[in-house]
Amino acid sequence: MPALQFVHQLVFYTRRLTRVALTRGHSPLWLSPVVGWPLIQRAGKKYRIDLPVLHENDLEEQFVRGFGPGGQATNKTSNCVVLKHIPTGVVVKCHQTRSVELNRKRAREIMREKLDVIYKGEDSELLKIKEESRIRKQEKRRKVNENLQKKRLFKETLSASKQGEDNR
Amino acid sequence: MNGILKLVINQLRRGITKQETLVTLPCRAAGGAVAPPADCSVTVEEAVSLWTQHFLQHGVSEPLSSSHYIIAHVLGKKTLESVERRRLRETLTDKERECVWKLCSKRLTRMPVQYVIEEWDFRDLTLKMRPPVFIPRPETEELVSLVLEHLQSEQVMKARGKAAVHCLEIGCGSGAISLSLLHSVPQLKGIALDQSQEAVCLTKENASRLGLQDRLEVRKLDIMKDAALIVRDYGPVDVLVSNPPYLFTEDMASLEAEILKFEDHSALDGGLDGMSVISQILALAPQLLTNEGRLYLEVDPRHPPLLQWLVEEQTEGLHYLGTSCDLTTRPRFCVLQRSG
Repeated sequence: MPALQFVHQLVFYTRRLTRVALTRGHSPLWLSPVVGWPLIQRAGKKYRIDLPVLHENDLEEQFVRGFGPGGQATNKTSNCVVLKHIPTGVVVKCHQTRSVELNRKRAREIMREKLDVIYKGEDSELLKIKEESRIRKQEKRRKVNENLQKKRLFKETLSASKQGEDNR
Repeated sequence: MNGILKLVINQLRRGITKQETLVTLPCRAAGGAVAPPADCSVTVEEAVSLWTQHFLQHGVSEPLSSSHYIIAHVLGKKTLESVERRRLRETLTDKERECVWKLCSKRLTRMPVQYVIEEWDFRDLTLKMRPPVFIPRPETEELVSLVLEHLQSEQVMKARGKAAVHCLEIGCGSGAISLSLLHSVPQLKGIALDQSQEAVCLTKENASRLGLQDRLEVRKLDIMKDAALIVRDYGPVDVLVSNPPYLFTEDMASLEAEILKFEDHSALDGGLDGMSVISQILALAPQLLTNEGRLYLEVDPRHPPLLQWLVEEQTEGLHYLGTSCDLTTRPRFCVLQRSG
């Protein structure tokens, strides 16, 4: 049955995020998996600064790994990243982009948002923003209604005074 | 032909898919082209389902993702996830339908998705792709991360101040590595070499598209044949980087059709032990690097111990800093340093 063949050929591999340290007389250089990215996006929302810090040692990444040596020997376009936060058990799956490094970065951002909601509950940044947005909308609605009321009152006053004039 | 397709689509709408009916889909013209249904409308979802089945039937690898990427591309998106849920249930325009059929037919010939849609992403860059120039692999994104970690480290930033940093790439292909580095390190100036004219052209094209052409010199040069010229004109640099052909010749024959039929074999075949180009780079590195300059290589998982031995026993002026693993925990990257 061709439908399931390609699934059986894939092996899922889970990896703790500890890299091989560079040795030979130099102090061990721990290579974090996703580098070259600014931790806080300058153009992004302010709230990201307040999100919980993610420790790479608490994370487990899962990748689809085929048989054979990989690298130049394969050309796979599937780059889904599954990230698990060991202490809480939260799992994030990301295949939003065509780049595996971007998916890993994005998975971590989503993880930080999820953890924020879990840790802070009502006080979480996401919920704060939602609440702020709700209050703003409420305020807007109130102002609109107020203005409508004022207009109605003005029209009534206008027509009442006109009537009065006509009656004279 | 159209009648059969209508039947299939009606069955899909009713939630029934019959394998037998799909077998009698429009027959292939020469070269694997499949004619689109002329008077039959399909929704995005239906097209995805149809082509996934079609790819499966014909043994095309990654049938679902192939279908997703190609159809998303026709709709102007990079992934199907980026397409609005509502759009998925809407019909394709005639133009879109024709395009989907044309591109998916190419995929039927085992052409890699990246060549079908003529582009692919590498880290945060979108690059043009064209056969037979080697398609960047996801592992190589990590190679760039390693180099960036070094270039952006406090130590290096302090030492350099505002002075330019120079890097040289051997075997640039589509320009993925050099362009990623240039994009992330403003004071970096790069030289990219490749023995293939097509690769040189594509790298130049990608550099222009990204506005990086002023900081990247691209030359058609062969590290095996033009070594003396390269050392004379381009050494020494702060960083030497390469994803050289590193496959073992004996492994070439068992490569998947996507690679064998469409990619440049000279970008893959590293000789008997996969070390022919790597050895040459190691031999030239002491002359190409500044003192304490670094060499970053992507290799086959069997190579790191060989490299370490070669460097320790036979190469003066170079020492082995360490090996780093890729996402699948295979030893993949070798880092070396020029020593006085």
